[in-house]
Amino acid sequence: MQALEKTQASDTADTRRLTGWSPKVLLRDAGIGLALLLLIVFFSVSTEHFLTPNNISNILTQITINLILAVGMTFVILIGGIDLSVGSMLAFCAVVGGTVLTIPDLSVFQAVALATLAAVGTGVVCGFLNGWISAFWGLPSFIVTLGMLNIARGAALQVTDARTIYSFPPSFNAFGSQMILGIPVVFLIALVLVAIAWFVLSKTVFGRLLYGIGNNEEAVRLAGHSLMFYKVAAFTIAGALVGIAAMVYMARLNIASPIIGIGFELNAIAAVIIGGTSLNGGRGTVIGTLLGACITGVLANGLILFGLSDFMRQMITGVVIILAVIIDKYRERLTGI
Amino acid sequence: MMNTESVRADAADISTRPVLELHDVRKAFGGTKALNGVSLSIEPGEVHGLIGENGAGKSTLIKVLCGIVRPDEGAINLSGRAYAPTTPREAKANGLQVVHQEFNLLPYLSVAENIFIEHLPRNALGVVRLQEMHAGARAALDAIGLSDIDVCWPVERLGIAHRQLVEVARALMTESRILILDEPTATLTSRETERLFKIINELRSRGVSIIFVSHHLDEVFRICDRVTVLRNGETVFSRPIAETNQDELVRAMVGRKLQQQMASEMVSLARPEEALSLVNFRHPQSPHAQGISLQLHKGEILGIAGLVGSGRTELLRAIAAAEPPLSGALRLEGAPVSFRSPREAINAGIGFVTEDRKEEGLILNMPIAANVTLASLSDVSRAGILDRKAEIAVTERLGAELKLKYGGPGRNAATLSGGNQQKVVLAKWLARNPKVLLLDEPTRGVDVGAKAEIYALIRQFAERGLALLVVSSELPELMTLSDRILVMSQHRVVGELSRPEFSEERILQYAYQGEQQQARH
Repeated sequence: MQALEKTQASDTADTRRLTGWSPKVLLRDAGIGLALLLLIVFFSVSTEHFLTPNNISNILTQITINLILAVGMTFVILIGGIDLSVGSMLAFCAVVGGTVLTIPDLSVFQAVALATLAAVGTGVVCGFLNGWISAFWGLPSFIVTLGMLNIARGAALQVTDARTIYSFPPSFNAFGSQMILGIPVVFLIALVLVAIAWFVLSKTVFGRLLYGIGNNEEAVRLAGHSLMFYKVAAFTIAGALVGIAAMVYMARLNIASPIIGIGFELNAIAAVIIGGTSLNGGRGTVIGTLLGACITGVLANGLILFGLSDFMRQMITGVVIILAVIIDKYRERLTGI
Repeated sequence: MMNTESVRADAADISTRPVLELHDVRKAFGGTKALNGVSLSIEPGEVHGLIGENGAGKSTLIKVLCGIVRPDEGAINLSGRAYAPTTPREAKANGLQVVHQEFNLLPYLSVAENIFIEHLPRNALGVVRLQEMHAGARAALDAIGLSDIDVCWPVERLGIAHRQLVEVARALMTESRILILDEPTATLTSRETERLFKIINELRSRGVSIIFVSHHLDEVFRICDRVTVLRNGETVFSRPIAETNQDELVRAMVGRKLQQQMASEMVSLARPEEALSLVNFRHPQSPHAQGISLQLHKGEILGIAGLVGSGRTELLRAIAAAEPPLSGALRLEGAPVSFRSPREAINAGIGFVTEDRKEEGLILNMPIAANVTLASLSDVSRAGILDRKAEIAVTERLGAELKLKYGGPGRNAATLSGGNQQKVVLAKWLARNPKVLLLDEPTRGVDVGAKAEIYALIRQFAERGLALLVVSSELPELMTLSDRILVMSQHRVVGELSRPEFSEERILQYAYQGEQQQARH
């Protein structure tokens, strides 16, 4: 009886491990979660306004865009790539979506549906090109997406003639600041995306092979899988998420400008790295990315409440990025986790 | 009185004393004894051949001498003094230079910079003195007869043979007493080999001792003064080249081995049905239009022997379409097929256990179960969603069948020993039920006990009707496993042996004959 229980217990442990929820991976994420918790406790004690419902929903709103971009970035970094173009693509998707959104004589529903289609479609096309160009010619994605960074920014400026688009349907604008139980709806959208990404990465053949490619491309190829498909798919997913982020951006700020999103790619990369994903690929989780995005958001908000200037905040965020990677290195060496 | 005597003794010794002496040097990596009592003595100004089969300990010995690996036991004397280098730099400072088999050149720097990289001439401000460097490099190249190379060219512009010679020039920059050449002719054409031999002769007359590691016995006879044979990490014998012959060297390299007896008792399991056949099949680097033709039957284990560089690995990679073939026909169970990608080959029923387990076979940092199911994910998933229970079931079933020793299917493949890692690779292909399994060096980096297990498994696969093509550099292994052995040389099949004809001597003779024929062309 006891023996039976034992084998069952070890069976479920193994099942968990395979799903990406291995005790080790869980412990990694728990470590990052603990860091987040400590930050929250620290700011709650040391500042007056941190732990207020208003401020919390403020933080959640602020991290939403970065979180959505970081989820896409996680796919790309897991296969050992990088996407520097997401900031520019955000602007391009936004102005394309914004243009559709302001077409006269459309019902609100039609306008929003078409605009979403246009923004996500733009992101998909840009992301596909990023992935296809780098996979087909065997180029480093760093260089290809650096090119796309310029192309998308230029395209955004060209399409709008450098003008800002506004006067969206009022109900669309209102949606951006809606809350459910004090939680911003846009953040809930981001959470749903995190959940979908988690499912895809840890439960599907597709996700398994992305991890495989990040760890050992040649072994995956010789096992009969097309590297091209998976690489292009990872960048395309990142592009699609930029499109969604662009819609969320417009709903929140009620404008679409060709100069938005400058430097957003670096914030997204920072969230992914702080979340424990390896820049070499093959290791990391989207839950880590969620925690990483929360850490950067909490830090930004808390430090300002703490009375530090925005300049100091920027410096400290930089230090945290470097610290996160150093800690990760030691953790790996000392505990093998 | 005592003093003067010892001084006199020293002086008398200098001319006759060996420049380098090794006595009973041993080195183990884990349980594997890489060096198991190597003794060697090198005279000043001699060219000393060092030969042995793969795994005999040549590479480890070189690593010990140039300070990369520290021996566990034994004494090394350099010019009468104890010598125990801890870094390659220290070895160089002691006048010991190595030209490695793999190139250590920096491709985008100039030839001159490469030659001087260890001690760039510079002025007080640390600025490199270009003229001095170029003049020095010119002199170094002229000294070995490379006057046709401009020292300002980047190394990437040079062919492989010239790069090798630039390496030699670099090694000679520092006054060296001993120069070790590790397989220096592997990439050279016969004319370039001649040039290298001329350089070696010149160095010898200057009193430099040269250790010449080679697979090519004819070269050893041409250039060496003495020869030492290693086998299983031990010195078998060491004698002047004039007192030995090719047959004796081959016999010394091979030794008498138990497996040979085992082999003769085995019965072939080959069935009459053809599993795989190749006609004029050419891999991408094949220099011969006629390519390779062979037939493999169901249940047959066909061994492929040959020296390093004879095109064995390339042949397997082309069959598996890891690098799609250049031309020729491939038939699988009688039906003509052609594969453009590993995916197509795998879907048709070909499995390929690669030579390099860590780089190409396994994903070390992923669970054992994920590695086992890597080539058969559609069997353990529904609508693209993985079924973990099915994955674990497959892993446990195959793990039991292959006697895999593992902590659990969720453990990373990196936690396994070499032999068990190889079993995971085998399990990956068995999960697909292939018709043909290609095995490249199936027991590389596997300890003796696990080797026997893997041999038994391969026999079992054959019993089930699986057709197996096995490439191995270990001849005893091939003779144990195979029903038939093809010998390859210079990308062609130069000999075929049936089981009663198996002998290491015969295989090596074919392999070397092929080489010599090539040299004469």
